Amino acid sequence: MPLVRTERLTKSFGALTAVNAVTIEVEEGSLHSVIGPNGAGKTTFFNLLTGQHSPTAGRIIFDGRDIAGTPPHGVAHLGIARSFQRTSIFPALSILDNVWLAAFARRESWRGLAWRRAEGYPELTRQALVVLAEVGLGEKAGQPAREISHGEQRQLELAIALAAAPRLLLLDEPAAGLSPDETQKMVALVRKLKGRYTIILIEHKIDVVMTMSDRISVMHFGTVIAEGTPAEIQGDPEVRRAYLGGART
Amino acid sequence: MKIPLLVGQILNGLATGMLYALMGIGLSIITGVLNIPNFAHGALFALGAYLLYTVIQFIGNFWLALLLAPLGVGLLGVVIEYGGIRPLYKAGHDYQLLLTFGLSLIVTEGIIVIWSPIGMSQLPPPILRGGVDLGITIYPKYRLFVMVAAALLVLGAWLFLERTRYGAIMRAGIEDKEMVALLGIDIHRLFTAAFALGCVLAGIAGALTAPIRGLNPWMGVDMLGIAFVVVALAGLGNLLGSIVAGLLVGLAQSLVALVWPEASVAVIFAVMAGVLLVRPQGLFGIR
Amino acid sequence: MSKAWLAILAAVVLLPVFVRHAIATEIWIFAIFGLGLNLLMGYTGLLSFGQATFFGSAAYVAGYLLKYYGINVFLALGAGIVVGAVSAAAVGYLCVQRSGLYFIMLTFALNQMFYFTAYQWTTVTGGEDGMPGIPRPHVLGLDIQRPLAYYTTVVVLFLLALWVMKRIVESPLGKILQAIRENELRAEALGYDVPRMKLAAFVVGGAFSGLAGVLYAMLFGIVPLESIGFVFSGNVVFATLIGGSGSLYGPVIGSFVFIWLSESVSSMWARWPLLLGVAFVIVVLFFRGGVVEAWARFWAWRAARHAPEPVRADAPR
Repeated sequence: MPLVRTERLTKSFGALTAVNAVTIEVEEGSLHSVIGPNGAGKTTFFNLLTGQHSPTAGRIIFDGRDIAGTPPHGVAHLGIARSFQRTSIFPALSILDNVWLAAFARRESWRGLAWRRAEGYPELTRQALVVLAEVGLGEKAGQPAREISHGEQRQLELAIALAAAPRLLLLDEPAAGLSPDETQKMVALVRKLKGRYTIILIEHKIDVVMTMSDRISVMHFGTVIAEGTPAEIQGDPEVRRAYLGGART
Repeated sequence: MKIPLLVGQILNGLATGMLYALMGIGLSIITGVLNIPNFAHGALFALGAYLLYTVIQFIGNFWLALLLAPLGVGLLGVVIEYGGIRPLYKAGHDYQLLLTFGLSLIVTEGIIVIWSPIGMSQLPPPILRGGVDLGITIYPKYRLFVMVAAALLVLGAWLFLERTRYGAIMRAGIEDKEMVALLGIDIHRLFTAAFALGCVLAGIAGALTAPIRGLNPWMGVDMLGIAFVVVALAGLGNLLGSIVAGLLVGLAQSLVALVWPEASVAVIFAVMAGVLLVRPQGLFGIR
Repeated sequence: MSKAWLAILAAVVLLPVFVRHAIATEIWIFAIFGLGLNLLMGYTGLLSFGQATFFGSAAYVAGYLLKYYGINVFLALGAGIVVGAVSAAAVGYLCVQRSGLYFIMLTFALNQMFYFTAYQWTTVTGGEDGMPGIPRPHVLGLDIQRPLAYYTTVVVLFLLALWVMKRIVESPLGKILQAIRENELRAEALGYDVPRMKLAAFVVGGAFSGLAGVLYAMLFGIVPLESIGFVFSGNVVFATLIGGSGSLYGPVIGSFVFIWLSESVSSMWARWPLLLGVAFVIVVLFFRGGVVEAWARFWAWRAARHAPEPVRADAPR
C-alpha cells in the first residue's frame, strides 16, 4: 500500500508550470528518489507536499486522505517531515534546542507550554539527544547552531527532520555542499534510515541515488519523464537525453 | 447641508489628498527600495516647511524657496543615508528603522532649537493671495495652486518612475534588489538616490503646506501616521495606488470633519484597520 | 539564587536611598513595561512600535474606574492587565498576519489611532490635559499614599512580573518564540502555528504593558496624553535597546539608564528629546547589544587578557 501518492499534481506560477501532472507512488518503508536537472521542479514538488504551495491541480493522498492544500504547520502534524536544500536551522539556539523544538511540536499535548521549564520534559530531551547521537552531533548538543561547520549543519538539518518522528521523510539534497568525505558519511546515515522511515530523496549525485533507491522518478521541466528501479532508469533513453544530450541547464 | 460648504470641503479634501499622495509616494519609494519604514518622514516634511520660511526670510522669493527647500531636505537625506543608514546595512532593517526614529526626534527638536517652539505663519506669495470665484463657492487661490502643483509633482514622479531609465532602475529595486545588483547597478547609489528622492518629496509637501496651515514643530507628526496609512492602503511601491489612496484619505478626512469633527483623524486609522482586515495587501497591493 | 537576582534585589533595596522615591518607582514600572516589549522585540524578533497603545489604554481605563467608580486596588490592577491584554489581542490580530515592514507600520499606525482617539475624546480622557485626579486606594487596609509605601508595592509587583517573565522565556513557548525569530519558515514547517504564537507573545506583552500603565497612573495621579503616544512607544524601545534586548534583564537595566537620564536631563533642558534622539542614533550605530552585551564583551576581553587561549564572548542572542 503506498503511504503517499500524488495524482497528476500540478503547480503553475502564472505562465510557468513548475510541476506538471506529476503522478508518483511511494510504498511504505521504501526509499524513492526524485532526480532531474536544476529547475526540473523537484523542490517545488516538495513544497507542494509540505504545504508551502497549494497545488493548481491534482491530489496528494497521504495515508488514504487527500492532504493537498494543508498549511505547513498542519502537514507536520500529519507525520511528514522535511529537510531543506538550503540549510534552514535556528542559528542562535543550541543544537539541542534545534532538535528539541522539532520533537516538542509533535507532542500530543502542549501542557505547560508557557510555564514548565523546558528542562522539565526529560523524555523529550532524551529523544532529542538520541537523534543527535544518531547523526553524530551528540557531543555538541550545547553549542549554538551557528558555530558548527557547514557539514555539521547539514547533519543538524537532517536531525531536525528526524526528531519529529515522522512517517514520511522528505530529504532535499542532504548532501548539498558537502565534501566527498562528508557526503560518504551522509550517505551512510541515510542508508541507516532506510526501512525505518518512508523516504523521498532529492539528490543530484547520481551514484548515491543509484545505490540506495528502491525506485527512482526522473523529472524534467516539471514532468516525470521516467520512473522505475535504478536498473531501469540507467537504461532509459529519455533519461539519457535529458541529462546528457539536448539542453544543458 | 449647504452646497458651497460641501464643495469647499471636497476641494479641501482633494488638496490635502494630493499632499498625502505626495507623502505616500515619497515614503513608498523609500520603504520599497530600502525596506525600512522611514520614521523621519514626518519630521522631514516639517523641515521642508521651515526651510521655505527661512529662505523667504532671506531672499523674499516664494518660488525660489519652493525650489530650494526641498533640495535642502534632499541633501540632508543624502547625508542621513550615507552616514547613518548605509553603515547599518549589515546590522539589519530593524536598526536602520530605529535610526530613522532617532533622527525624527533630532530633526523635530532641532527645528525647535533653530527656529522656535512657537508656531509661525507664512503668507502665500502675493499672486496667490485671496480667493477665486468658482461660481458655487469662493475658494482660496493658494489651495487651488497646491492642488495643481501637487498634481503636477505627482505626475512628474510618475513620469520619472515609469518613463525614465533611472525610474525603471528604482522600480526594479523595489521589486528585486538582488537582480538589480546582479545587473551591475550600484545598489548603494540606488539606495541613496531613493532616500533622497523620498526626502525631496516630503520636503516639497511640507513647503507647499506652510502657507495653508502655518508652521509648528509638530506638524510632521500627524503627517507621518497618515503617510503610513496611505502606503499601507496602496501597497508598497505602488505609485498609482498611493495617489488614489492619498485622495481617498484626504476626502474622507474633510468629509468626516463636516459631520463628526472630533473623529476626523482617528477615523482614517480606523478605515485603514478595516481595509487591512479584509485585504491584508491593501486596496491595490498585489501580495 | 543567581547573581542577576541578587543584583536586582540589592538594587531594589538600595535605590530609594539614593534616588527620589517617585523616580525609583517609575524605574521599576518602566522595567515592567520593557519586559513586556522585550518578549516581542528580543525574543520573537517583532519590533512593535506601538506598545504605548496598551500601556495608555490600561492607564486610561483603570484610571477612569479608580476615579469615578472608586474600585479597589486589586480590581484596578486586574483591569489594567486585562485591558492591556485585550487591546494587544485586537492590535496583534491585525498585525501578526503581516510581515516585517507592514507589521511595524501597522503597530505604529494603530498606536496613532488610539492616540488620536484619546486626544479628541476629551469628555472621557481629558484630551491634551490628560486625566488627573487618579486616587491611590489602600492595599488590604494598608495606606500606600506615602511614596515609600507605594514604592514597596510596585517593587513587589515588579519582582513578581520578572519571575513570571522568567518562567515564560524558559518555557517551551519561550523557545518557540526564539525559533520564530531565528527562522520563521522552519518553525512553521516544524508544526508551529506561527501567527498564533506571535499573537500569544503580543497578548503577554500587552498584559505587562497594561500592568505598568495602571501603576503609572497611580504613581503620578494622572494619565497624561503622552502615555499613549508615539514618543512613549519609542522610549520603551530605546530603553530596551540600550539595556540589551538579548537578555531577560536587559529591559531592567535599560529602564534604569533611561529614566535616570530623562529625569535628570529634562529638568535641566527642555530639549531633552534632542539628546534622546542623539543617544538613540549613537546606540543604534555603535552599541546595538546594549549595556548587557557591552558588559559581556568587557568581561570576555578581560578574561582573554589573562587566559592563554582566546575565549569566545558569550552570545546572548
